[in-house]
Amino acid sequence: MISVSGVSKLFDEIHALDLIDLDIATGEFITIVGPSGCGKSTLLRIIAGIATPTGGSIKKPDASKGAFVFQDAALLPWRNVQNNVELLMELESVDKAEREEKVRSALQQVGLEGFEKSYPHQLSGGMKMRLSLARSLVLRPDYLLMDEPLSSVDELTREVLQEEIHTLWNNDKFTSILVTHNVAEAVYLSNRVIVMSPRPGRITHIVDIPFKKRDRNLRSETAYTKLVNDISGKLRAWK
Amino acid sequence: MEIKKILPPILVLIIFLAIWSLGAKIYDMAFLLPGPLTVAEAFIKDFQLVIGGLWITFQEALYGYLLAITIGMTFAAIMSQSRILERSFYPYAILLQTLPAVAVAPLIVLWFGFDMQSVVIISLIISLFPIINNTLLGLKSTSITLVELFQMHNQSRFVNFFKLRLPAAIPNVIAGLRISAGLSVIGAIVGEFIIGSGSEGGGLGVMIIYAQADLETPLVIALILTATALGFAFFSIVSVLGHYLLHNWHESEIA
Repeated sequence: MISVSGVSKLFDEIHALDLIDLDIATGEFITIVGPSGCGKSTLLRIIAGIATPTGGSIKKPDASKGAFVFQDAALLPWRNVQNNVELLMELESVDKAEREEKVRSALQQVGLEGFEKSYPHQLSGGMKMRLSLARSLVLRPDYLLMDEPLSSVDELTREVLQEEIHTLWNNDKFTSILVTHNVAEAVYLSNRVIVMSPRPGRITHIVDIPFKKRDRNLRSETAYTKLVNDISGKLRAWK
Repeated sequence: MEIKKILPPILVLIIFLAIWSLGAKIYDMAFLLPGPLTVAEAFIKDFQLVIGGLWITFQEALYGYLLAITIGMTFAAIMSQSRILERSFYPYAILLQTLPAVAVAPLIVLWFGFDMQSVVIISLIISLFPIINNTLLGLKSTSITLVELFQMHNQSRFVNFFKLRLPAAIPNVIAGLRISAGLSVIGAIVGEFIIGSGSEGGGLGVMIIYAQADLETPLVIALILTATALGFAFFSIVSVLGHYLLHNWHESEIA
């Protein structure tokens, strides 16, 4: 379990986060939605350990391993696909033979086999994001943090990638925390959707998403659209 | 394709040579303004001499350049590791640029003697700043996202430097090396001017001074062109290196 307790964040005069309490069960998929500037990305970065809270604390299981998927894919432009997937394993001192083995299966998993020698600038936005996911997942992380990973891909690719993310998560059940602007995406992927208020960011609603099966048909089900509309309504209340 | 690429600069060269020839003919004072053919003749006549001078200047500029690369990149790497170090030393790196190197050259000669050593040092001083400045800029421009990514998976400064900051800085490093390529030759010529009369069988700069004193204008021009070609060769080698390092990924070199 990942426990966020009493986390606040102040940037100079700006009160970004105010007393956030949240427990995320192992293997759970949660999504944080909220208006721009509500501090949801900051919260994610604090959970990742790349930002420090002004108050409160984060508890993660001992020796648990995390990975972070950035909005812009954050690939090294001078490394080809294969070497980009190897990067995090290299940083974590995984030995060479094991790396190569894992790279092969990871690229297969995200449908990038055959692109090993391509460079990031030769890939589409969707492929870059797949690569970024593969790079994180080869680490077999206990938890995966995703900061608006699909915000810069086209609508169709976005839906395909959502389905792929769901499959990857369903296979490996890594704890997932996703930050997004897209309510449909949140409902499609999550066990719970966390709704945050504008600055200072507070959790205002936690919505359980009950669906067992997530596939393309879900998108046209009434219960699904109703939940999307409900949550969108909560967000619209602040506009 | 290749022809289309080479043709325009060759055309410019031909036009330039034609205007030069015409000008020399009209002016009609070969000892002040010799035409290109006269210069070519002087070059061929004194070929042995010119090549001998070129060899010396080449060595001086090369050593000065290599020293500038080593010192400049090391200095930039050190400054990139800490704000305090950067703030302490960078102002003095700027002074290196504003320092009138030509005026300091006589002092260098006083300290290090009338020989190659002094010329190398003068070449080093003149070519150092662009390397420091560009390398430092590159090392400091790493994407914050990438820095955070590394931070999550490996805390080592060493790894961060060699796997992230340095490769990301290569486009800037190459830019600095290109500027300094020509400067290192200029520095060597300036150095030779200063030690000039005091040295035996010097490089191109020394020869220019002697040829000028003898009013051998065609030879002076031939020597100048040779020195220019040397700087251009340095520049080209760095450009090839840059292309090799960047053609796979950097906007500046992607075909």
